[in-house]
Amino acid sequence: METSSAIPTHDASEQSGIWSWITTVDHKRIGILYLYTALFYLLVGGLEALLIRTQLAKPNLSVVSAETYNQLFTMHGTTMVFLVVMPLSAAFFNYLIPLQIGARDVAFPRLNAFSYWVYALGGLFITLPIFFGIAPNGGWFGYAPLSGPTFGGGFNMDFWVLGLQILGISSLAAAFNFITTIINLRAPGMTLMRMPMFTWMSFVVQFLVVLAFPVITAALFFLQFDRFFGTNFYEVQAGGDPLLWQHLFWVFGHPEVYILILPAFGLVSEVLPTHSRKPLFGYNVMAYSGIMIGFLGFGVWAHHMFAVGMGPVADSIFSVATMLIGLPTGVKIFNWIATMYGGSLRFPVSMKFAIGLIAMFTIGGISGVMHSSPPSDLQQTDTYFIVAHFHYVLYGGAMMGIFAGIYHYFPKITGRFMSERLGNWQFWLNFIGLNLTFFPMHFSGMLGMPRRIYTYDAGQGWDLFNLMSTAGTYLLLVAGLIFAYNFFKSRVSGAPASSDPWGAPTLEWSIPSPPPDYNFAQIPEVTSRYPMWDLKAPDRTAGIEHSHADAADIADAHAAPMHEETERRTAKELGIPMPFNTIKPFLVALGIVVMFSGMIVLHMGKFPLAMATMLGGGVFMVASLYAWLTSPLE
Amino acid sequence: MPKLHLRRVAPVAVLALALLALAACGGDYPNSTFSKNTELNDGAVFIWDRMMLLGTIVFVVVEVLLVYTIFKFRRREGGPAPRQIHGNAALEITWTAIPALILVFLAVPTVRTIFENQRKAPANALQVEVIGHQWWWEFRYPEYGITTANELYLPIGRTVNFSLRTRDVLHSFWIPQLGGKRDLIANKVNYIWFTPKETLSPAALNGACVEYCGASHANMRFRTFTVTAADFDKWVAHQKTVAIGSPAAGAAAAAADSAAKAKPAVPVKTASIIPVAAPAEPTVPEAWVFPADKLPAYAIPSTPMPATAFDDALLAAGDAKAGRELLMNPANLGKAPCMTCHVVKGETNYATDDNAKGPNLTHFGTRHTFGAGLFRNDARTLALWIKNAPAMKPGSVMPTFGVGEFNPMIKQQVPAAAGLDDKQIADIVAYLRSLK
Repeated sequence: METSSAIPTHDASEQSGIWSWITTVDHKRIGILYLYTALFYLLVGGLEALLIRTQLAKPNLSVVSAETYNQLFTMHGTTMVFLVVMPLSAAFFNYLIPLQIGARDVAFPRLNAFSYWVYALGGLFITLPIFFGIAPNGGWFGYAPLSGPTFGGGFNMDFWVLGLQILGISSLAAAFNFITTIINLRAPGMTLMRMPMFTWMSFVVQFLVVLAFPVITAALFFLQFDRFFGTNFYEVQAGGDPLLWQHLFWVFGHPEVYILILPAFGLVSEVLPTHSRKPLFGYNVMAYSGIMIGFLGFGVWAHHMFAVGMGPVADSIFSVATMLIGLPTGVKIFNWIATMYGGSLRFPVSMKFAIGLIAMFTIGGISGVMHSSPPSDLQQTDTYFIVAHFHYVLYGGAMMGIFAGIYHYFPKITGRFMSERLGNWQFWLNFIGLNLTFFPMHFSGMLGMPRRIYTYDAGQGWDLFNLMSTAGTYLLLVAGLIFAYNFFKSRVSGAPASSDPWGAPTLEWSIPSPPPDYNFAQIPEVTSRYPMWDLKAPDRTAGIEHSHADAADIADAHAAPMHEETERRTAKELGIPMPFNTIKPFLVALGIVVMFSGMIVLHMGKFPLAMATMLGGGVFMVASLYAWLTSPLE
Repeated sequence: MPKLHLRRVAPVAVLALALLALAACGGDYPNSTFSKNTELNDGAVFIWDRMMLLGTIVFVVVEVLLVYTIFKFRRREGGPAPRQIHGNAALEITWTAIPALILVFLAVPTVRTIFENQRKAPANALQVEVIGHQWWWEFRYPEYGITTANELYLPIGRTVNFSLRTRDVLHSFWIPQLGGKRDLIANKVNYIWFTPKETLSPAALNGACVEYCGASHANMRFRTFTVTAADFDKWVAHQKTVAIGSPAAGAAAAAADSAAKAKPAVPVKTASIIPVAAPAEPTVPEAWVFPADKLPAYAIPSTPMPATAFDDALLAAGDAKAGRELLMNPANLGKAPCMTCHVVKGETNYATDDNAKGPNLTHFGTRHTFGAGLFRNDARTLALWIKNAPAMKPGSVMPTFGVGEFNPMIKQQVPAAAGLDDKQIADIVAYLRSLK
């Protein structure tokens, strides 16, 4: 990870060089690591998409082979879900949650570093095989028995099974960390109903992770045992049940969709009020609808399985449950528009992306309701119509929201603005490219084009739509390159930003940009949902419930009344104890990945070497963990 | 700065959308899911139409509100500070209730249609067993003792009840023009039924596997021919006979002959290895298939051919008898083990329909395509296929047979001792194409 000296770092005297990044336990630096790593994987996943679309530009092309194509689409899905959108959200969780709730770090800073390193190394584990032509090739959904040893015998799906297990550790550790952080480390007066909406949505997401990931972990364990130790959970010749996998996968897989989208909803809920100069419309309903989405999200998994023949009763129940989830989602859309309505709107790039999310996610939401009806869905499922749908949700929704977040928080993170001019180019190219890529897929799908095919015959009526989709993908590439250029250029030479460049309402804007390593010199007393507006534009927050000046009730000796910190001092000067940097979380993560790699060696048939690798990795992990647990935090 | 961008970009976006709409309205869409060809698709299209209408209303309302808000409330220098509204319970209840009401209009027909579609099929329905293989389709008509592959014949006006199974991984059976899909799940039998409407004219329709099933998932296609009831009967009468040139066929013909001449009191038993389903008829019924000249362009595959060379002169001189001898003589099993994986009804079979790795070839010569809808069934393509199938269809279980050809599956060249030369392949092609 590079560290340019031109950027004011958090504590330039102590924190620089590669070593400081590997050993950091600062939630902000870990957030930045997440951001960079995820953007790197975005490039990887994007190039995979580009190859996929190039292959499909015309009928009967052979840009890549069938086998390569199957690896590409498997890895495109796996990469974008597990290595891009989730970690990009994690970047914001890390960076923002402590700042938004007025804390000096997350609850477990070293566990936080551990989560990141497991993600980074696990990501390499699952990504590298594609350069050797042995990448996972059973789809990101890994349907049994194709993912099992009989029909998927190579190393390919080994990397997938083990890789997802590794990544699951990262997500679970992070989720527990953030739940504890949000519950325990809120500043005095920061009640749950005063939390910024991004923190609220993140809070919901952490519970989704904690409840959904164990299910995929169990499912993967079965598959792992099938693949390596001869069990028959999914092995059909021995009477195994492939539907078991599907149910388990989607019990995880559907909440996963909300794990991907809710953080973006949270970011947009920060951007829209700021640039509308109006508080979020219906804060309570926004929070409750998020919880509702999370709750209902666990009751709709089988709508991915309408074609497997579950019978009319199950079909009906899952159909109606799926329709219901449209309600809390729809409420969010209307509340966002109502937030803007009557406001005083300003349109920096972040606002454009936020509005872009509303406009594009609506399309994905409507087509989502369309799939909720099995008779109609049976004509749509596993066609390009579905591909269109979930890309409107994940690109038009999650990615738009994340870009909004990046443009919005870049000044906070770096102390510099991103270029608005380049940002506008990126936004519009993105907007056009996204629609040009994914809108025609609605047509090709409804006109009969199946998903996951590496080639198609001429004369099927799909040629034009595919060509459009491919052209759109190249536009998205250009937009991506502009973003990358803007990002790296602005880091070095963007216009300097003040601590509160947008006039935003929440706590993270009350401290310098970039924030000092201790975040808050004095933990603020929170008396409102919009503390910064209380300070700067009191008329704006006058009538809001949960914004009463009850400072008198807060009896915390260390807390200071709400204020803006502009001075930059070191933690030492302030006498704030900071956690020590440590390499141990990285070592534990390394040990875990080495241990899992032993399974690959086992598949090679080199039993002694495999045992040595696994035991070696295991012992290394336990030893590092012991050293970690016995060394003081600060 | 940024303000002008919208105006610059909007026309482009509008133009693109208009172009798309235009493209979607004109043109020829042979796999459209909007064809009301069966009662199953009537239900799907009905619900789709309603969803499209309601969805469009929601879309327009949301986007108009959004665009209106963007333009109406853009910040003006010196404009008044916005009125601070933090929520409005009545409004929020309204925009929850209206979508809820919309969903009722969707849920009621949905549940009704689900139960309608999943009733038991009518008792007199034509039963068709669909068996998925990596990567081809086996179709059986148990009522008639017919087993065929990759080409499905359905009588217009009669309900057809498919029972769906798979021999290996999961697949999904789909004929977009006739109705929704149903997965083929290992260790489970699934069903789907529909009735091609009386009013349909005979047609060739494309079908495909739509559940990702490995290397050649994209190459697991099939053809469906919806034909008149009379034509279907003709097709059945012919398809249920044994293969031309097989001992069983010879015996049947001889029996019929002698029956005509001597009228023996005892019916002659046919000498087939596999029992012939129908009693020997006096004459072999005329082969009837969907006429080749009526095949629409979209049903004729244009899959690219490999670079494999083949001498056309040899093909013209192909000898069906020699080809049959090559396949049927156990002495040739080492070189031409075709019959260990394929079944030809009436011949010496080493495989049965239940364990055959490849398609049943009994009336192969009557099929328009092979390789699961990938290739035209002509002599040259077939020769290239036998020479090196894996080079034409990734992952193909059928090995490379041509001497000197490179087998991409095992990454080896076929040695002269183990392979077939072009002359032999031409003979086999001639035999297979004679299987009318």
